[in-house]
Amino acid sequence: MFLFVFVVSCSSDDDGTMELTGTGMVKIEFDNSMAGDDLLLSTSSYTNSQSETLTVSRLNYIVSNFRLTDEDGNVFTYPKDSGYFITSEETGNTEVVLSDVPAGRYTSMTFGIGVDQEKYLQGAEGQGEFLTEAEETNMMWSWQAGYKFLNFEGTFTSATVTDATDFKIHMGSHGSSLNNYKETTLALGTEALVSDDLSPIIHLVVDASAILDGTNKISLTEQAVIMVSEEKSPKIAVNASNMFSVDHVHNGDGSSH
Amino acid sequence: MRYLYWIPLLLALGSCSDDGEYIEVEQDERLTVTLPSNFPPMVYDVEENPPTKFGFALGKKLFYDGKLSANGFISCGFCHEQRFSFTHHGHQFSHGIDDLEGTRNTPSIANMAFFSEFAWDGATSHLDLFPIIPITNEVEMGETMTGVLQKLQLDETYQKEFNAAFEEGGVSHENFLKALAQFMVMMVSYNSKYDKYVRSEDGVSLTEQELQGLNIFQEKCASCHTTDLFSDGSFRNNGLAPNPSLNDIGRAEVSGSVNDNYKFKVPSLRNVALTAPYMHDGRFGSLESVLNFYRNGVQDSPTLDPLLKSENGLGIALTENEEQALIAFLGTLTDEQFINDERFAEY
Repeated sequence: MFLFVFVVSCSSDDDGTMELTGTGMVKIEFDNSMAGDDLLLSTSSYTNSQSETLTVSRLNYIVSNFRLTDEDGNVFTYPKDSGYFITSEETGNTEVVLSDVPAGRYTSMTFGIGVDQEKYLQGAEGQGEFLTEAEETNMMWSWQAGYKFLNFEGTFTSATVTDATDFKIHMGSHGSSLNNYKETTLALGTEALVSDDLSPIIHLVVDASAILDGTNKISLTEQAVIMVSEEKSPKIAVNASNMFSVDHVHNGDGSSH
Repeated sequence: MRYLYWIPLLLALGSCSDDGEYIEVEQDERLTVTLPSNFPPMVYDVEENPPTKFGFALGKKLFYDGKLSANGFISCGFCHEQRFSFTHHGHQFSHGIDDLEGTRNTPSIANMAFFSEFAWDGATSHLDLFPIIPITNEVEMGETMTGVLQKLQLDETYQKEFNAAFEEGGVSHENFLKALAQFMVMMVSYNSKYDKYVRSEDGVSLTEQELQGLNIFQEKCASCHTTDLFSDGSFRNNGLAPNPSLNDIGRAEVSGSVNDNYKFKVPSLRNVALTAPYMHDGRFGSLESVLNFYRNGVQDSPTLDPLLKSENGLGIALTENEEQALIAFLGTLTDEQFINDERFAEY
């Protein structure tokens, strides 16, 4: 096996395949959608498998703790102190930029949805400016001094709810009693190449319909405002962790998309 | 004008001590956090946010500053009054801006650094982050964290004080919360008559009735009001009939679990003689009423704490004589030194 790798890498060099050195950026684009359609806030409506028709007005979520794994299984963990990001469809801030990523050929990516307990329990020291950002983007869960991991809002109608009715899905951890932080791992399909000259863009498609209509079925007709539910919040957390998929990877200098 | 502010700061850092001018400048210094020998270990990690002279002074100033509220008048100290062990004496519910009223009784903030969950329902599990709750509650201080920060950032005195108190200076949320936490971490109540008795200090002894009360307490109360903090920090339903106009479900609001319905944090009993009214909703005006409730008023429900349910019935059996002894004992938990400590005083 070692010999084989050695031979392959030698021949690669012989073929002139560049050696990756230094560091680069990795940009991750979160392209929000609804079951294959573009997500247009307060504009389009979407009917799901539960025959509920949703018009979405807000989709914000926290992504965190990014880890990139290369072809040999080496893992690069992005620094925790700067590893929390809020993506927001309404502000158009849907790109996460990881800087100073060591050169490599990355084949998979893992990240969290939300804020883990370890981070929360760092107190003021751990939250820093992230707290400010969370308040500004409606992601601070102020009554429990914590974070909404997901803020998904809009209106809906169904067979029995005929007038457009507000729905609000706020999901986060429940104090010390229920941890709703979840992680997801995605194979990149194409190697993402990072070096001094290469900064890839990983384009994710985020299917927001999965939040209610994913592995777990959540009916808005039954309950339209879900914030703290021991039964439903963990199901929504699982659904949300499954809404991400890699559409494609652009290898290049990171400037074109 | 601007550089003037930097001179004391630089001097404080000790880098300009040879500039030939004899200006006496205060140095920041670490404060000693009290760890009473009869207390369990402190939960708060002081190494993450060590209280310093300037940080503590800043925290105290913030604690008593109405700028933290939307209308500029409601400070933390408005509801947390020192002479009542930092509770809102005589008020069933906390009062906030525009004469709005909350739904829960203001808890004491003595010995918070020894606990791991805060507020009646444990809405937060870190002391640093607790202030967010009252500041942003629309019937308490009605502000936003960003709004508070903007007001403080415009204040040149605060700018100086933040820079002096923290290595990574600046009026930031992190430093704001750290300063408030430093003030609270220093608030340790540990010099009541009871404390001196258990630590065998100053030849203090308890009266016969107080000793009788202590024995009854250890037998009938200390399974929830544990240690010399007089609370195990857990959430329990003590059998209060829910107030129908509020129907406050307590811990279940945080956990979302029906198993937590009507559970509230076991409060510490330190300075309890000073902190009337009692219970999460301040329904009882005296300790007699509290004990009468435990004797006769405990109501059964699916989440009633099992410790209050036995084959002999609900609640805690107490004779009139035992009740008086308990009240006498609870009086020994009053810490005059704490409520008169000038370090914590508003004026």
